[in-house]
Amino acid sequence: MPLLLLPAALLVCVMMMAPMVLLFRYSLNLYSPTQLMVEALSPANYLNAVRDPYYRDVLGTTLWVALLCTLLALAAGFPAGYALARMRGRWKAWLTLLTIFPLMVGNVVRAAGWMTLLGNTGMLNAALRGLGLVGEPVQIMYTTGAVVIGIVTVVLPYMILTLASVIESIPRSVEEAAANMGARPFTVFRRVVFPLSLPGVVAGSALVFILCMNAYATPVLLGGSQFKMMAPAVYDQFVRTTNWPFGAALAFILLFVTLGLTMAGSALLQRRYRG
Amino acid sequence: MSSLSLQGLRRTYSATVAVDRVDLDMAQGELVALLGPSGCGKTTTLRMVAGFVLPSAGRVLIGGQDVSRAPPYARDTGMVFQGYALFPHMTVADNVGFGLEMRRVGRAERATRIAEALRLVRLDGLAERRPAQLSGGQQQRVALARALVVNPSVFLLDEPLSNLDARLRAEVRVEIRALQQRLGLTTLFVTHDQEEALTMADRLVVMDRGRVRQTGSPEELYERPDNLFVASFLGRCNIFRGTVERPGRLRAGTAALPCDGGAPGERSALVVRPERVAIVPGEAGEGGLPGRVGLVTYLGGLTDWHIDTPAGPVLVTRPTPAEGDALRRLSPGAPVRLDWTEAAGRLLADDEHTADKHRQGDPR
Ligand SMILES: Nc1ncnc2c1ncn2[C@@H]1O[C@H](COP(=O)(O)OP(=O)(O)O)[C@@H](O)[C@H]1O
Ligand SMILES: [Mg+2]
Repeated sequence: MPLLLLPAALLVCVMMMAPMVLLFRYSLNLYSPTQLMVEALSPANYLNAVRDPYYRDVLGTTLWVALLCTLLALAAGFPAGYALARMRGRWKAWLTLLTIFPLMVGNVVRAAGWMTLLGNTGMLNAALRGLGLVGEPVQIMYTTGAVVIGIVTVVLPYMILTLASVIESIPRSVEEAAANMGARPFTVFRRVVFPLSLPGVVAGSALVFILCMNAYATPVLLGGSQFKMMAPAVYDQFVRTTNWPFGAALAFILLFVTLGLTMAGSALLQRRYRG
Repeated sequence: MSSLSLQGLRRTYSATVAVDRVDLDMAQGELVALLGPSGCGKTTTLRMVAGFVLPSAGRVLIGGQDVSRAPPYARDTGMVFQGYALFPHMTVADNVGFGLEMRRVGRAERATRIAEALRLVRLDGLAERRPAQLSGGQQQRVALARALVVNPSVFLLDEPLSNLDARLRAEVRVEIRALQQRLGLTTLFVTHDQEEALTMADRLVVMDRGRVRQTGSPEELYERPDNLFVASFLGRCNIFRGTVERPGRLRAGTAALPCDGGAPGERSALVVRPERVAIVPGEAGEGGLPGRVGLVTYLGGLTDWHIDTPAGPVLVTRPTPAEGDALRRLSPGAPVRLDWTEAAGRLLADDEHTADKHRQGDPR
């Protein structure tokens, strides 16, 4: 067995750990407009990021957008995941394929699609105006709402498939036993299906939350220049301002906040519903 | 008014007829076993009573009320599932208390009734365990307690013993029967094991390919089967095919066999239970069926003799004779004569397909 793990372990070490270590080292360096990066061992970048109200704001936006998107994906994904898990035969294969179909389109392409659909001169507004429902175009693009819709559609397949695989492992007879004992469908869900799906809820939510926290293309394309989330902010530091140390510090703040919240959230959910 | 009544119950799955025209009226406190080979529609029938499958035609009445279209939660049945279907995330006590909670029984009364139910199935002391921490037999009893505790109008069991080992099975069989009688529960029990059905049930319903082949007490079905299917499915039997010569005699090849009546000239099948056949060593004597001993199987209290006769192979089962008895010393090839009373030879319509498959079929 250990031998079988070797290729993956090597790949992770070389391709992930090495850049991370390097990046972390950079985050302790200092920035100079002339030399770009100066060797140092200083927490200054982290302190600056935390003190700056602008970046606190960006982190705050990132957090609540990610949280909202995770909750929406869970709410929309559970019924779909359940239906998929309980489906049989040919339909199931087709619907599974349909679920992963959106993943075959890149985020950028999809966001571009949303732009043509939701923009002021897009199809939705054209239709609304054509029907005489609105005079002025409705501003949908470049709002938080557009970003949230965009991100949810990206992460939903992950949520659905994770939940479906866990729900599939719950025997149908356990649900039937609850119904037989007098539980109505919603009670069966609340007392039996949901608690038993918890590993899937935790895994799906963690996965989706991490994806949302790191969303890049969707907030940039659908949120516009005024809307900032962490991943685009990190990119700006590296590419626009070429302040690598500060960008690296932002990246690690994003990493630690994501990791911390994911673990805390999982632990909380597990404890709350155990038993 | 019947406690449970099935009227012309039928269920189809596209081209398959899973259950067809099943009729049954059960009295309060009666235990009826649905018996039949795998795939004959037992589970589907039970699930129509519980409400998990809706009938394509016919009605289900519980306590005189038509519940054919009622959802499972509104039917007041208590079901023990084949794989137990315990709630893995709840303790034993919470599993057992679930039905009471759904019926809005107060906390204090709930605790008393849970404790009582667990005592009934001899699981007191395990209330705080999780199902995964219990043995198969214990899980089985939790499932029983969970279904019993709500005192359901109809108690349903789907092959509840099939996951237990042989020794435990015999034990739990007795326990379930005792509990059912003590609580006076109207019980519908599914099994493919004829021994289970014979020992537990007040009445049996023998099913085959979705149809009821015969309904009656274990004794009625064993002694007076209506058809070859029932005769060969319940217990072992010898089947002879032939033409009735005169009332009381069936001609099968060169042999004239005793039977219980019949109209001369009728093509019939004769069924004789192996324990009704008398066996006499030697060639001498009139009447009866001559034969030669084949295999002899010593079963302890009983012995099986496989006898080759002109009417085909015949199985004879008798209490093992004492040492020194002439029968005891019969070795393969020895001549014997077989005989039985006319009453022991049941004449039935010759129903080809089922008979050969089960001819002298071993019960297990
Ligand atoms: N959900 C279903 N879909 C299609 N066919 C089914 C379904 N349930 C049962 N059947 C068919 O109905 C017949 C009876 O099944 P079942 O009631 O489970 O038999 P038993 O419990 O006696 O073994 C079988 O032929 C089975 O294949
Ligand atoms: Mg079955």
